[in-house]
This record gives sequence, C-alpha cells and structure tokens, in this order.
Amino acid sequence: MASRAVAVWQRREVLGLLIRRDLKVKYQQSILGYFWTLLEPFAFAMIYWFVFGVLFGGKRTAPPGGDYILFLVSGFLAWQWFNSNVAESTGALKKQAKLITTMKVPREVFPIGQAGAKIIEFLLSLPVLVIFFFVGHGHISKDIIWYPVGMAMQIVLLTGVTLLMSSLNIVLRDVERIVRIFLRAMFYLSPVIYPYHLVMTHAPEPMKIIYELNPMVGILQLYHSAFFPTEFPPTRLLIMSISGCLLILVFGWWLFKKLEPAVLKEL
Amino acid sequence: MAEPIIKARNLGIKFARTRRRKLSVRELVISRGKRRPQGEFWPLRGISFDIRPGEAVGVVGRNGTGKSTLLKLIAGVLIPDEGSVTVDGKVAPLLELRAGFNEELTGRENVYLLASLHGMKNSEIDKRFDEIVEFAEVKDFIDTPLRHYSSGMKVRLGFAVIAQLSHPVLLVDEVLAVGDKQFKKKCYATIEKMLADGRTLLLVSHNERDLERFCTRGLYIREGKMVVDGTLAEAMDAYNKDTDGPPAGKPGARKPGAKKPAAKKPAAAKGPAAKPAAEKPSGDGQAAAEQDEISSAGSAGKK
Repeated sequence: MASRAVAVWQRREVLGLLIRRDLKVKYQQSILGYFWTLLEPFAFAMIYWFVFGVLFGGKRTAPPGGDYILFLVSGFLAWQWFNSNVAESTGALKKQAKLITTMKVPREVFPIGQAGAKIIEFLLSLPVLVIFFFVGHGHISKDIIWYPVGMAMQIVLLTGVTLLMSSLNIVLRDVERIVRIFLRAMFYLSPVIYPYHLVMTHAPEPMKIIYELNPMVGILQLYHSAFFPTEFPPTRLLIMSISGCLLILVFGWWLFKKLEPAVLKEL
Repeated sequence: MAEPIIKARNLGIKFARTRRRKLSVRELVISRGKRRPQGEFWPLRGISFDIRPGEAVGVVGRNGTGKSTLLKLIAGVLIPDEGSVTVDGKVAPLLELRAGFNEELTGRENVYLLASLHGMKNSEIDKRFDEIVEFAEVKDFIDTPLRHYSSGMKVRLGFAVIAQLSHPVLLVDEVLAVGDKQFKKKCYATIEKMLADGRTLLLVSHNERDLERFCTRGLYIREGKMVVDGTLAEAMDAYNKDTDGPPAGKPGARKPGAKKPAAKKPAAAKGPAAKPAAEKPSGDGQAAAEQDEISSAGSAGKK
C-alpha cells in the first residue's frame, strides 16, 4: 500500500486536474453554483432546527457554550460532507469508466480525486458555520482547534470509504442501494442533531458499544467540542474513532488493490 | 538490434463467460455455488512477442479474438492474469478518442484537461493549442460546451490532442474508421509523420489498405492464440485463408450466411460449454455484428 501511495503522490498533478475538473463542472454558473452550496446546508439546518430543536425540545438538550442551532450546524456541515461523499463514492469509477480504460495512472487517483473535490466543497460551505456561530451566540476559544482535527480524521475515513465503495460497487451491484439506506440510518445513529450523552444515559449497554463503533461518533464529538467544550470525546471513544478511520483506510485500499483487475475488466 | 520497447511474455487474461458477471447479493446469499458463472474463457493466452522501437505492427483477427484486449494490456489499462507485458516508455492511446472529455466543459477546457491528463505541460499546450484546434477544425466552437459538439467533432478533437503527445508508443484501435474522408486523410498523414519520427505503432484494423499503408509486421490472432507473427503479408494471407475459405463473406449474402460463422465456429469465443447458446438476446446481436464484420472485411479484401 505504501508503494501505491507513493505512486499516487507522483501523479498528484493528475489528481489536481481531476479535482479541478469536478469543481469546475459543479460551479460552472459560478455565482449561482456557489449559492446552492450554501443554501442546501442552510435550508437543512433550518428544518432540523425546527423539528428537533423547537418541536421535540432539543433546545433544552444543548450543552453550555451556545444555542442549539450552533450545536446542530457545527456537526451538520460535516455530516453533509460525509453524506454526499459516501453517496457519490459508489460512482467514482463507474462515472469515468472510459477515461480509466484508456489512461494508465494509478487507478486510486480517480476515487481519491473525487474525495478531494468533496473536501473543497466542504470548505466552501463553512461560511454557513460562521453565520450560525454569530446567530447562535458562539464563543471563540482555543478549543476551536478540534474542528480541523476532526476534519483530518474525516479525510482519512472518507478516503478509505471512497476507495472501498467505488471498487466494490463495480463487482457487487447492490452496494449503491444499500448505501442509501445505510446513510439514512447513520444519520440518526450519529450525534448530529442530539448530544452524545443522551445515548450514553438512555441506551442499553450493548447498544452503546455498537453505537461507538461508528467512527463518525468520535469525529462529530470533536466538531461539537470546538464550540461546546463539554462535548470533548472520552479518550476511549477518541482512540476507537482514530483506529476506526485508519482501519477503514487500510482495508479500503487493500480491497481496491485486490479488486482492481476484476474492476478493470468490468468497466 | 535495438532492445525491444514492448515485451510480452506468455501473456494471458481471462474473463468470466457470462456477460453479466456482476454478482448481486441475492446470488451470493441464495444460490451459493449453484448457478456459478459457467466457467471462464481466455480471450488471450500464451501470447509472447517483442516489438522493437520504430516497428509498425498490424494486428489482425476476427472480432472477439482479443485484439483490443491486447492493446489494452499493452496500454496498461487491463491487468493480465498470466504472464506479463512491459513497455519501455509512455504510451499514446488512440483507443477511444472521446475518453476523458467532459460534456459540460468547453472545447478549450477539454483540450487542456485531456492534454494535461496525458502529461503535457501547460506551456506546451499553450504553444500547440492553435495547431490542435486547426487540426480538429473546431475553431468556431472552441468555447462552446462539448455537449453541443457533434460526435465527429469530439473524435477529431480527441485525435488532435493525442496526436500532439510525444510518447514513443502509439496504439491505434480502429479509430481510423471514423471521421469523413478528408479528416481520415489528415490522420493518415499524422500517423505517417509519427512513424517517420521513429515511433512505434500497433494498429488494430480490419481495413487491409490501412494495414498495408503503415505496417511492415503483422500479428494474426485467432481464438486468443498467436497464429502468425511475421510480415504483414504473411499474417494477412493466413487471416484471409481462414475467413475466405468457406464462403463467408459474399456481399449481399448476409441473411442466409447469418448462421454460418456461429455454427462453423463453436470454439474458443463461444466455448465448448456454451450449450444454452440462445439464452440471451445479446448473443444473437453479437453474431450478427461478427457477420457484418466478416462481410466487410471480405469485400475489402476483394477490392
């Protein structure tokens, strides 16, 4: 895997080109294109705020440090990133089959390039967080450092997931559909709209363990803790989350490598 | 003699027999081992050859005998299951000319994208940009999104970009069949110029005149095996003998002849275990396509 990583690095200019291409296509109608990037998380944040914050009384569960809306948005933007990356990862190879079957580059650049474009999209959506930081009475402190730490972990995780899903979907065609259900379940099984301690106080013991196996739990807690210091994940959860991310990266890359010959025949 | 630039040793690749090779979870769970894909077949096996720099090699053989697969293996976009193929240098693939283009981007953006994907520097593209546009004859549309291009325009643009690459090995797969007469002429001139520069060419074609024009050496592949590796004339003779022998390619004899090649050749591609031959409709389509190919190749041979 290390040698493959080096090979990808050597062709990083191809990686850059693919990322730039994806973004260019996405933001072609530049002003309006970017506007949608901001509007979508904004609209969803408002919906979840109304349903879970107002109707279900989520506002009362918000930890000290700011309003519920800031709690929501501090996790939700990253969730959007996770969601759109995973949902589109299944098509990362299929979509550009023609290019892949005529160009000799380390095949990893295609899924990694797609994940890279998603990172940029996420960064471009961050102004929404800034808006709600002020709206939600946030405070800036040195804890803000946990936000980029969470991002770093999520990048590792998503690189692995994209490698895994893109190749698996070529040989196992149901993956695409399963992913959609899986993502919906994951959303409610991650501390995005509710704080982590609710699960810890209300869920039965075995469920807690299963819950914490999801690496996104630790990552989301890092994002929340950038504004709500009480949310900082317990050491055990943090270690589990970090090892989960690394494990998925290694496994995803290994599987990609393993399936590569079959995938190329199938494209 | 110079060191070979392309070395193939006992090269082989296998595909699953059924076209629909993808598994679904249902198949995985329910019918474990019951309805396994009926075996596998080797479109290519035991292929060995050396190609030296500057050689122009024509690859001939019937449809479905692995010619394109061979080119893809050399291009490095398929991974062999047996043996190896090594290429000493970069490869310019004229395999699928529209590959890598994005419909949403303009012609200009696509030229930069494709050229840099194939390793050209931006400054180099700047320098050759006008030449590319000129060659592709798309000057008035260069800032139009590619989705408004005709398919011919896209192919021309693709060829124009790849033709600017200075890679030592050139792989050409039937692309000369597209485009109008005038464009074809330009393509020929370009390829001839490249050959004069000492590049190495591998050409897959059914057009005897194209092959004779460029190639000195010929490889004839039949049923995944290398049958002839010699001069182009030798390869063409063997190929023509195999296809012309039985009256397969009479022009106008399409309908009555339609069943013949399929019946005549139950071997490799169709396979000995292909009992449920008429199981899927795609089988018929393929047979018809092959028949087309034969009649056109046959008539080309007679001209």
